[in-house]
Order: sequence, then structure tokens, then C-alpha cells
Amino acid sequence: MNTQDQNGYMLLYRSDEWYNGLSHQELQTLMNENNAWIQRLTAQGKVKPGRALERRGAFVSGKNGRFVTDGPFAESKEAIGGYLLLDVRTLDEAIAIAKSIPSLAYGGSIEVRPIAEECPLDVRARELAREEQLATV
Amino acid sequence: MNTQNQNGYMLLFRGNDWIKGLSPEEKQKVTDQWMAWFRRLTDEGKAVAGNPLEREGKIVSGKNRVVSDGPFAESKEAIGGYFLLDVASMDEAVAIAQQCPGLPYGVRVEVRPVAAECPVASELKGEPEFAAV
Repeated sequence: MNTQDQNGYMLLYRSDEWYNGLSHQELQTLMNENNAWIQRLTAQGKVKPGRALERRGAFVSGKNGRFVTDGPFAESKEAIGGYLLLDVRTLDEAIAIAKSIPSLAYGGSIEVRPIAEECPLDVRARELAREEQLATV
Repeated sequence: MNTQNQNGYMLLFRGNDWIKGLSPEEKQKVTDQWMAWFRRLTDEGKAVAGNPLEREGKIVSGKNRVVSDGPFAESKEAIGGYFLLDVASMDEAVAIAQQCPGLPYGVRVEVRPVAAECPVASELKGEPEFAAV
């Protein structure tokens, strides 16, 4: 895997609403830890604004998007609860930041993904076009 | 479902394996369509951000911060990229999702309202803090 990346990383928060099991006090403590964590990384210039997503939504699929279905999102371990963009150069650093996320102590998981310079589809299409050209020469 | 949202919507493009069966011409066509689609939405002020993600990454899980490979490239659920939309209703976000050029090839688009604040914070506010008073 290429461990250098100019475009930064995306952290995807995968959540199954682990926080529903926490007390008010625990939630408050976690929120404070999380705010401090974000503020520190922002001050270091390593984090760009991220957002939380509502626990609802729709799936669109099929030709011309003819199938539109509701979630469910809340119960799924695969559901994305929010994201954060990291302005760091290496996968190792992105993983180290992901590991320091306070809420991991209570469950959930974080997906760490390099942001692509350009669409991988486009890169592959160009590679194939080149191969074809070479084949016909 | 509340259909108004001030904070916009996120489109998550799911599925990484659909590209495999396409010819080079089809791949080029769908890529060009996808980029033209994003450019048009940006020009209209409806897309404010978007990025493709590399087909690789890591998952960090749980209390012990276990690091594993993932998501798997062939997964139908894997996220290949996203758009952030500045539109005010779920209906409009869904209508845009329905224009996704990958749909005929099996891509699924997840449409999610962006939250005003972290749901954990809203949950805190929802609790009766002064129940004993």
C-alpha cells in the first residue's frame, strides 16, 4: 500500500449507537474528551471540519434510481455515523489519530481511507486505453 | 421523515466491484458522465464538496484499537466516494442521487441528512437534566 498521500484521509465513523447504553454523566465526560481531542488536532492543523449524519436517510439503486428505500441505519454496525477529514500525509499518522478517538473506548469502529487524487475509475480507464493502444501498434 | 434540512445532505456511493465487468469504453463513458455530473452540480451550487476514495484502507475498532485491513474491495457495501450537497430537502437530494451514472451498473447511493450537531450532544440535551428539581 502506498503510505504517502497528498490528499489527506477520511475517517468514517461506523456506529451501532453504542452511546445509547451510556449514562448522562458518561456521555458528558465523553463529549468533553471529544471536544478537547478535536480542538487539539484542529490547533495542530491536522483536522478539517467533519460532520455528523442524521440516523435516517434513503438508499437509491437500480437503473435511473427507480428503487428508493428507507434506512435502517441505527442498528447496523456498518452504518456511517459521521466523518472527519485529516490533513496528514501518511497512513500511519492517520491510523494513529484514529486510534486516539475517545469514543472507541465504548465501541464502534473507524474506517481510515486515503482520499484519491483522481477517481480510481478514471485512472483504470486510462490504463486500459493505453494497453489497447500498445496492443494495436 | 422530516424532509427539511438546513445542513445539507451527503451522498455515499456504495459498491466497489461493479466496475469489473465493464469494457474500457464503458468505463471511460461512465467516468466522464460522473465527472460532468459533479461539475454541473458544482456550477449549480448544489454540490459543495466531493471526493473519490482509494480502494484500500484500514479499520480501527473498539476499546483495544485493533487495526485491520478493510474495507474489502469487492464488498457491495464499501464506500467508493461521496458528495456533499447544499440542497434543502430530502426529495431534492434523492432526485440528484437518482441521476448517478453508476446506478445502471449496480452502484447504490446512500442519501443522509447532515446533522446540525453530534447526535450524542442532542441526546444529552434531550435528557431531563434537572429532573430532581
